[in-house]
Amino acid sequence: MSALAEGGRGRAATSTVTKLAERFGIIGLWGVMIGVYSAVESSNFDTQGTFQTILSSQAALVFLSMAFLCTVIVGEFVDLSVAAILGLCATLIPVLTVFDHFNVALASVIAVAVGVSAGAINGLLIVFVGVNTIVVTLGMSTLLTGIALAIAHLGPVSGLSASFGKLALANVGGWPFGGLPVSFYYGIGLTLAFAYVLAFTPLGRHMQFVGANREVSRLAGVRVNAIRFGAFVAAGALCGIGAVVVSAGVGGFDPNSSVNYLLPTVSAVFLGTAVIRPGRFNPIGTFVSVYFLETGILGLEELNLAAWISDVFYGAALIVAVMLTTVLRRRAST
Amino acid sequence: MGTSDLLEPWPLTGGLSQASALPAVPRLELRHLSKSFGASRALDDVSIRVEPGEIHGLVGENGSGKSTLVKVLSGYHAPDPGGSLLVDGHPVGLPVRPAAARRFGLSVVHQDLGLIDSFSVAENMRVGLFQVRRFTRAIIWRQERQRARHALAELGADIDPEAPVGGLSSAERAEVAIARALQHHEAGRGLVMFDESTRALPPEPRRHFHSLLADVVARGGSVLLVSHQLEEVLEHTDRVTVLRDGRVVADGVRTSELSEHELIRLMLGRELSCGARTRRNASASAPALARVENLSGQLLREANLTIGAGEVVGVTGLLGSGFEELPYLLAGARTAATGTLSIGEQVLELSRPSIRPLLAAGVALVPERRDRDGLAFSETVLDNITLPRVRARSRGGLMRRDWQLREASHVIGELAVRPPDPRMLVGQLSGGNQQKVLLGKWLCSETQLLLLHEPTQGVDVGARRDIEEAIARVAERGSAVLLAGMDAGELAALCDRVIVMREGRIHGEVSGEITPERIIDAVYGAGIRESW
Repeated sequence: MSALAEGGRGRAATSTVTKLAERFGIIGLWGVMIGVYSAVESSNFDTQGTFQTILSSQAALVFLSMAFLCTVIVGEFVDLSVAAILGLCATLIPVLTVFDHFNVALASVIAVAVGVSAGAINGLLIVFVGVNTIVVTLGMSTLLTGIALAIAHLGPVSGLSASFGKLALANVGGWPFGGLPVSFYYGIGLTLAFAYVLAFTPLGRHMQFVGANREVSRLAGVRVNAIRFGAFVAAGALCGIGAVVVSAGVGGFDPNSSVNYLLPTVSAVFLGTAVIRPGRFNPIGTFVSVYFLETGILGLEELNLAAWISDVFYGAALIVAVMLTTVLRRRAST
Repeated sequence: MGTSDLLEPWPLTGGLSQASALPAVPRLELRHLSKSFGASRALDDVSIRVEPGEIHGLVGENGSGKSTLVKVLSGYHAPDPGGSLLVDGHPVGLPVRPAAARRFGLSVVHQDLGLIDSFSVAENMRVGLFQVRRFTRAIIWRQERQRARHALAELGADIDPEAPVGGLSSAERAEVAIARALQHHEAGRGLVMFDESTRALPPEPRRHFHSLLADVVARGGSVLLVSHQLEEVLEHTDRVTVLRDGRVVADGVRTSELSEHELIRLMLGRELSCGARTRRNASASAPALARVENLSGQLLREANLTIGAGEVVGVTGLLGSGFEELPYLLAGARTAATGTLSIGEQVLELSRPSIRPLLAAGVALVPERRDRDGLAFSETVLDNITLPRVRARSRGGLMRRDWQLREASHVIGELAVRPPDPRMLVGQLSGGNQQKVLLGKWLCSETQLLLLHEPTQGVDVGARRDIEEAIARVAERGSAVLLAGMDAGELAALCDRVIVMREGRIHGEVSGEITPERIIDAVYGAGIRESW
């Protein structure tokens, strides 16, 4: 009892500390994680190469999680099809270029158009027909993965030219991040643009209100259905553009791998609610989370743990992230 | 503390005779209860005693801690350590566990009634109490329905236990919730808490409800009545406890010794500035600003009316008479079957979904259900207030801060929103302050026609006065105001004339010297004349 009462009295004083911890806890934890890994495996982990790997390998996840964020912010739970849309588009580019001898630029345009169309179909079914989001996107995910496997004859397709690869891999010279591929900066640009739209434009404000309360938004003159539909289309477009970057980076694509992108995407978006703006889905938090999770996984892999560790890690991260979201949202609204 | 739940079941040997022999033990005793949310204290060292056989009133402004107290007593909130709760002298463990509370005879009727629309009356009433067959563990539905029917009959309510709750009128819903609470009631013990339960009841069921309270008390039970309706409290309770800013400022004062005026002063800690709106002279006909023609909806049939610039027109009637549909049809929130609205020269078709043209023409709606239609609770006060205008007032696709802060501080100042912080989430405000923000949203627009549905429901006298004054100022600035509601006092205080509806049609109009009595007469009275 007395200990409890003690805690009650100390609460006001510690609330500032709690708030800071909520905002920047993940960033702090990231630092701790890097420190621990560096200490444990100084020879492997604490090298420039490791950081380059972490920072340069995640462009696909950044595009995917921003796509996922589009629909989650307007209140759609949850778009499971983003990874499959990206997978189909990224398969389409080498298939059209290598098998069918299309110009790679044309193939990229077609891939983006396919992404937009897939998003539009999601949007039509969910917004205008009123089908449950999870059901539609789960079906769409499986369907598109199947199509991607079919056109790729079940295996990886490669053979994209090195000049196309420059689109993703060209080094950006100079301090401070010299030696990083340009795709990393695409991710940063996309994140900042998204954060800008949300914070400073009427569109962003409207998106947040549609997510918070559709009827209130409708009565205030917001075009609720247009915004929801637009979010699915934008998500499809981001998947398409992400696919161009990914296939350029890899020189092709393996349609079998697209399913592996889904869980990290969802984990990063939910974990993002624990960064910068507690309890809120936000692009910068999501971006930080993508790299936080990648650092964790890379460190574990370099401890020579087997491949199953990534499933365990991402699965656990997803559960922790969703739990954090729930707790932080509850705290923000009482 | 946790061991108190393990106390043996209620000692039933006592009964009435013993209770009357030991009048010193209160039915419910709350000692030194506090509840903090973060740094703020919603309840601060609250102690309350409810004696056996009394109806005890609990009043206070919005945000005074009433709802928090009810939520602590019903086990929704865990109080801060240090307080204690005794029922008939027996300690009840804190936080309150609903099952334990029920054993002690505590039951609650909540403000929102706590009913599930898609379930039947019997299911709603009996959930948690279902009796099952010994071997199949199946619910004995015949018996459950019988019990529900019995509890409803006690209340004098003629409701089919198998009807889905979603299809009931709001008065019937209140009756179901009250019957559910009273079914546990045993003669000679127990306490029933009513949290604003009579709000939706029309006068006849309300009278019945009050006689029912008398029955509960006559059988030795006690009642804790949480209410905004001071008249009700003064007339039907024996003693009253007043909360202000989380503290008890009047501890069980006899209501026979109180006037309404004194009670208001206790609640507010100040005098209520007086003065209803000066009514416009009905004959001084203002130019018609809004004209409604041939409007039909689900309830409404071919309604025609005009509202002048600067005029406040009330619409009222029984629930289901169509008055409650009018603001939503005019705002485009629901699509009308037929009808047009003219604002000045502009003619707007209401039978097509068209919110944006209506908004552009200056039509603003303050809906009844702020949680569902009015405000986004997870967003800030500032964002909610500015939402209707963020697109129009953005330059070059950029929302600027200056006008947003200006609008928010204007609303906070004009309506005295507490706390005066535009960065607060709306969900963190008390009900009365949420209602202020809901109205404030439209105070910054070029509003031509302001449509209000029960704008002061569930709001205390202080906040109510702030809101009513703001509505009067909107009319003074030359807007047309339509006020739909069932609160005769408010209609009488604010309106230049009051239209009374029956069965979807305009049935009559009260104008001239408007009093609550005349409005109630017109709504419920039998022989209604066409006009006064």
